[in-house]
Amino acid sequence: MAMNYNAKDEVDGGPPCPPGGTAKTRRPDNTAFKQQRLPAWQPILTAGTVLPTFFIIGLIFIPIGIGIFVTSNNIREIEIDYTGTDPSSPCYKCLSPNVTPCICTINFTLDQSFEGNVFMYYGLSNFYQNHRRYVKSRDDGQLNGDPSALLNPSKECEPYRRNEDKPIAPCGAIANSMFNDTLELFQVGNASDLMPITLKKKGIAWWTDKNVKFRNPPGTDPLEERFKGTTKPVNWVKPVYMLDSDEDNNGFINEDFIVWMRTAALPTFRKLYRLIERKNDLHPTLPAGRYYLNITYNYPVHSFDGRKRMILSTISWMGGKNPFLGIAYITIGSISFLLGVVLLVINHKYRNSSNTADITI
Amino acid sequence: MGWRQSLQGADVPMARTIYLNEPLRNTFCKNSISTAKYSMWSFLPRYLYLQFSKTANAFFLFITILQQIPEVSPTGKYTTLVPLLVILVISGVKEIVEDYKRHMADKLVNSKNTIVLRQNAWQVIPWKEVNVGDIVKATNGQFLPADMVLISSSEPQATCFVATSNLDGETNLKIRQALSETATMKTEKQLSSLSGKIKCEEPNFHFNSFMGTLYLKEKSPISIGPDQVLLRGTQLKNTEWILGVVVYTGFETKFMQNAVKSPLKRSKVEKVTNMQILVLFLLLLVMSLVSCVGAIYWKDRYRAEPWYLGKKDYHSFGFDLLVFIILYHNLIPISLLVTLEIVKYIQALFINWDEDMHFKGNNVYAMARTSNLNEELGQVEYLFSDKTGTLTCNIMTFKKCSIAGIMYGDLPSKSDDGAKDLSQSPCFISDAYEFNDPALLQNFKNDHPTKEYIKEFLTLLCVCHTVVPEREGNNISYQASSPDEAALVKGAKKLGFVFTARMPNSVTIEAMGEELTFEILNVLEFSSNRKRMSIIVRTPEGQLRLYCKGADSVIYERLSEKSLFVEETLVHLENFAREGLRTLCVAYIDLTEIEYKQWLVMYKKASRAVRDRIQSLEDCYDSIEKKFLLLGATAIEDRLQARVPETITSLLKANIKIWVLTGDKQETAINIAYSCKLLSGQMPRIQLNTNSLEATQQVINQNCQDLGALLGKENDLALIIDGKTLKHALHVEVRKCFLNLALSCRTVLCCRLSPLQKAEIVDVVKKQVKAITLAIGDGANDVGMIQTAHVGVGISGNEGMLATNNSDYAIAQFSYLEKLLLVHGAWNYFRVTKCILYCFYKNVVLYIIELWFAIVNGFSGQIIFERWCISLYNVIFTSLPPFTLGIFERCCSQESLLRYPQLYRISQTGDIFNIKVLWIQCINAVVHSFILFWLPAKMLEHDVVLQSGYTTDYLFLGNFVYTYVVVTVCLKAGLETMSWNKFTHLAIWGSIMIWLGFFAVYSSLWPTIPVAPEMTGQGNMALVCPHFWLGFFIVPIVCLIQNVAWKSIRNTCHRTLLEEVREMESSGVQVLRRDSSQRSKVEEVNLQRSVSPRPCQVVFRNNSVDLGAPHGYAFSQVERAVISQEELVRSYDTTKSKPQRTFSATFE
Repeated sequence: MAMNYNAKDEVDGGPPCPPGGTAKTRRPDNTAFKQQRLPAWQPILTAGTVLPTFFIIGLIFIPIGIGIFVTSNNIREIEIDYTGTDPSSPCYKCLSPNVTPCICTINFTLDQSFEGNVFMYYGLSNFYQNHRRYVKSRDDGQLNGDPSALLNPSKECEPYRRNEDKPIAPCGAIANSMFNDTLELFQVGNASDLMPITLKKKGIAWWTDKNVKFRNPPGTDPLEERFKGTTKPVNWVKPVYMLDSDEDNNGFINEDFIVWMRTAALPTFRKLYRLIERKNDLHPTLPAGRYYLNITYNYPVHSFDGRKRMILSTISWMGGKNPFLGIAYITIGSISFLLGVVLLVINHKYRNSSNTADITI
Repeated sequence: MGWRQSLQGADVPMARTIYLNEPLRNTFCKNSISTAKYSMWSFLPRYLYLQFSKTANAFFLFITILQQIPEVSPTGKYTTLVPLLVILVISGVKEIVEDYKRHMADKLVNSKNTIVLRQNAWQVIPWKEVNVGDIVKATNGQFLPADMVLISSSEPQATCFVATSNLDGETNLKIRQALSETATMKTEKQLSSLSGKIKCEEPNFHFNSFMGTLYLKEKSPISIGPDQVLLRGTQLKNTEWILGVVVYTGFETKFMQNAVKSPLKRSKVEKVTNMQILVLFLLLLVMSLVSCVGAIYWKDRYRAEPWYLGKKDYHSFGFDLLVFIILYHNLIPISLLVTLEIVKYIQALFINWDEDMHFKGNNVYAMARTSNLNEELGQVEYLFSDKTGTLTCNIMTFKKCSIAGIMYGDLPSKSDDGAKDLSQSPCFISDAYEFNDPALLQNFKNDHPTKEYIKEFLTLLCVCHTVVPEREGNNISYQASSPDEAALVKGAKKLGFVFTARMPNSVTIEAMGEELTFEILNVLEFSSNRKRMSIIVRTPEGQLRLYCKGADSVIYERLSEKSLFVEETLVHLENFAREGLRTLCVAYIDLTEIEYKQWLVMYKKASRAVRDRIQSLEDCYDSIEKKFLLLGATAIEDRLQARVPETITSLLKANIKIWVLTGDKQETAINIAYSCKLLSGQMPRIQLNTNSLEATQQVINQNCQDLGALLGKENDLALIIDGKTLKHALHVEVRKCFLNLALSCRTVLCCRLSPLQKAEIVDVVKKQVKAITLAIGDGANDVGMIQTAHVGVGISGNEGMLATNNSDYAIAQFSYLEKLLLVHGAWNYFRVTKCILYCFYKNVVLYIIELWFAIVNGFSGQIIFERWCISLYNVIFTSLPPFTLGIFERCCSQESLLRYPQLYRISQTGDIFNIKVLWIQCINAVVHSFILFWLPAKMLEHDVVLQSGYTTDYLFLGNFVYTYVVVTVCLKAGLETMSWNKFTHLAIWGSIMIWLGFFAVYSSLWPTIPVAPEMTGQGNMALVCPHFWLGFFIVPIVCLIQNVAWKSIRNTCHRTLLEEVREMESSGVQVLRRDSSQRSKVEEVNLQRSVSPRPCQVVFRNNSVDLGAPHGYAFSQVERAVISQEELVRSYDTTKSKPQRTFSATFE
């Protein structure tokens, strides 16, 4: 490291002073820190000391797990696959691309009524929204209403960046592949009459997305004007400023679009589609009975062996139905308890023998 | 004698010519020096070069470059560059600070003042302006600014004394003498008129050689040898002033030429770490390849890629490979090197700060000169120690004597007091520690039958020596080249026989107040062949008498039959020797005038002999040294440094094998080995003293055979070998046998070794045994072994600096080695290895998750975390726990480590850090990462975890996972921590809080600050999500519960000594109480195992084994100096007053 020459050696009176510095600067304070005598807690990990922890973990986790499990089980959820791969399915006809528009209807029965707010999701399987080239194929600047990004989208959007010499708005593969099936729900009344169920379009996206992350291009002009000079994504039928009639749900801040733009973590995922708000306290939101699901089948998933589902679910304090966490808590609690017992045995055995045990190094 | 060269200047290539008083013709390098590593301009290129020559840094540079290729990087362009820059800046700042100090020190030296002759007048100029050819005047106590040839001095015979301790570590002063031709040139005028030239050799690094020729105008050339040369770095002593002409300046001085860079030492842990980095690199490649194959498989499954991905271009295999290498590259911890650098730097500071290693005597703290080897201190298996100045203080004290068959000074109670006192201020002689036996004086005063012998004995001590007294007021101090003699004279002085003055032909003593003058007729000098010195005096009564002191063996064979007390004295000598005292026998003989005259004739003839003068002189001495009458014996203690025996015992318990390598004589080495308990009385000593390869081979083989089955085990044997024999023993053919033999002995003493041999033997052990070696020494002769050994320790604070400057650690006392190794070494080992393993662990945990995620994202290389979160993982969120592990971790308290040296074996064996441990740690990390990814993934399987029914995205899962990773990794650090102090708490809980805080803030930056759009709103959503908090508690527990269970089961079923000690500590048993029954049991058991090997029951069938009592003879005296001892003592007349003399090297 250092050269073995220390210039200070040559300073007169050098030898008596310690090497590497004068006595003045090298006198350390005798602090606990410098003398490495800071008070410290030394945890001793032996069967005897840790076994209470194991029991406590067991005792806490098992009840929590049971609570979570029960909560999850109380959530009503129904899942309807409408991909139509099965020839018996009403949507089978829609697999062929020639039928446009293709509308199919699936009927289903709710055995138990759904109370409180009901959430309607669509689910896709085997759809790799988390693919690297897919995830990055967007321009957050453009989606945030940045006028320059609007007309000159990021390179990441390639090959959905420009079409026919016009910038695509919104650009990129994610936007281009936006889910475009339309789902409608009808309740079959007592007299086999169909009562449409009100599906709320708004309130399905994160607040921050709707208000911060996604913004239409600035200006007071009509949306069409503000998107002037851009073209629609290749796969889209309508341009972005015609997604909805409601000014507050149109353009980049269309909530269906926003929801789609949050790319899912796993190849099987759900997206929130509509809300069914509860009517009042007396009637369940969706009473038990027969229902029709009306599908305008646009979205092709057959080519990649995908599946499409519609899910209706109620929500508890911990979200949708998922017994996994409850089971996990119960399992871990039990294992912990079991380990506690094992440790107890070990502790008992070795505590007795430790007095005579030969000390090993 | 000396070794002035004959006039041979002409046939030596003389490369340098210096013209006297012609400054313009002398163009050589400047006298200013720079020891700094960098200059303003060279800093950046040099620093970068140094940094990127480290493999890990080069790797990250490579990754950074890869990331610049468009499309390749899954994490953006700058995510590796930024942490790399942070790390480079941190270590850059450290380098600058260190280099700044060096610059300042250089400046200080370069601007020191000295006096030179310029324009016929003395001028004061700074050192840096001194040029070759300048005539410099230096005064007493000054350091010399450059290498110069002595012209003249204030002293008689143009001599001067220099302290060379800076250069070679030798504490005795060296005499230099000017050429008689120049000795008279003392005035400005004389010097200015000097004309001529000096031719001399090119600059080189040999301290003890110089060849030059002085060509004075109109005079024949005169050869200049090392005795005329004064070197930079030496200090003028006991000389009023000197004049010299500068021959080498600045970097060309021998001092600076010797300042070579010490070899860069790497610790074993560092080597293993490099190995492990390589392993991780392979793992990285394997993972990348697996992912590439996965990608191919995924693409195959669809024949064509799904339509929603858009682009239909297929990436090549190589492209994918690069993507995955970038994706997983952080498996190799980027922060490890800089973390270790800082951690080790602070560990070194702890060593420097340690008050227990602070020598209050001269206010010297221990100093870690390198921080590379901190953990190596915990793994030392072989300790090579120098003797003089390392085990001993190099201070001789007259301890005991035997006069006329009566032993004096054997007062055990006194010496106990002394020892107590000693522990406070070691190496400073307290009166209580010196010879103090009132019986002697009582016998003298009360006319004991042996009174005359006592008188004669003390007179001899006063007269028979070559010491020069110095009188300052009423104080007399003695200056001697032999510390033994100084001790004897001082001892006599205390007993009332004061040696007061030396004149060229006589000495004056005060015997109990009575002034006596002895005429010195002849000094029969000491040599290691003769093992004695005699002096022929004429007593005040006019009697011719020869006083002799020497080894018992030589004196006894010269005793006359009339001599008394022979048997008693022999017993006493054995007693002295067993205690490790250095013994001398003293005897005298009265000569008749005729006898003397006859001898004088012989002597004169011998001293004129041209051939073999030394031999004929010795023969001549021998002829008169006979028929001695024994007076008694003296016992001198070569004072051990404080606590040396205790330290050695403790180190032996720690399973450290101690070898003493000394340049000193065999007798002295054995004495010291006895007094520091390396040897015990009944221990058989195998002594190897042979002259030829065959003999060496034969005796070694013989000993090996005798040992038989015990060979290779540790036996209670001592091996003593001298330098000559060692030369043969290290011969290729014999080496293996010799090492086998040496390693079977408990103690090895190597005597009379040259510095090179010391280094060689360390090297052999280092290579053959593959154990960590430590060499400790204080002198220039130890530099070789200090540099060769894995760890070099220098004893600092004495005058010698060379050993210190070449060492890795400098301590003031040998006994501090105990704390340095057992406490700092063990702690640092635990700290560094835990820190390294932990750094590996935390990186593997985080980055294997990318692999799990790759399985569900079609091996596309997508990252699950936000890119900057990944980069900051090592820099911020998990950067503190490695520091607390590396800085504050303590396996147990210092007191326990010192009390149970056996604990040292944990670090010594290195069982807690090797490739196997790394693999276990990695597998553990993989299991953790599996849990850390799949548990949250299952939790979020249906995307609906928010109370408002919203769905989530991939980063939502990523943030869950990341949070749990940070928590798990921090808690894992807590689990590894054996001792939690406030900083540990701060680091562990703080890191978790920092991440949560950062998470909240970072999620709300976009679009105000254009970073991380994908993080927008994540914090708000995740931090209120019940699943997040439910997972927050369960996921880390699932990961760590197995570790906790495993650890506690192991600690319970297989209780180690460490655990026992820790339990004892925390259960509040006072560690300081020694008599706890449990502890003493522990101690006993371990003691039996570690320290005492079976008593050796080998029957040796060869005569190299010495089972008898040791002899204690030892005497140190400079031989072959520039002036003989006789000449020197005769040149003094201490009755004349001499102003301005300071004697810092006298034996006061």
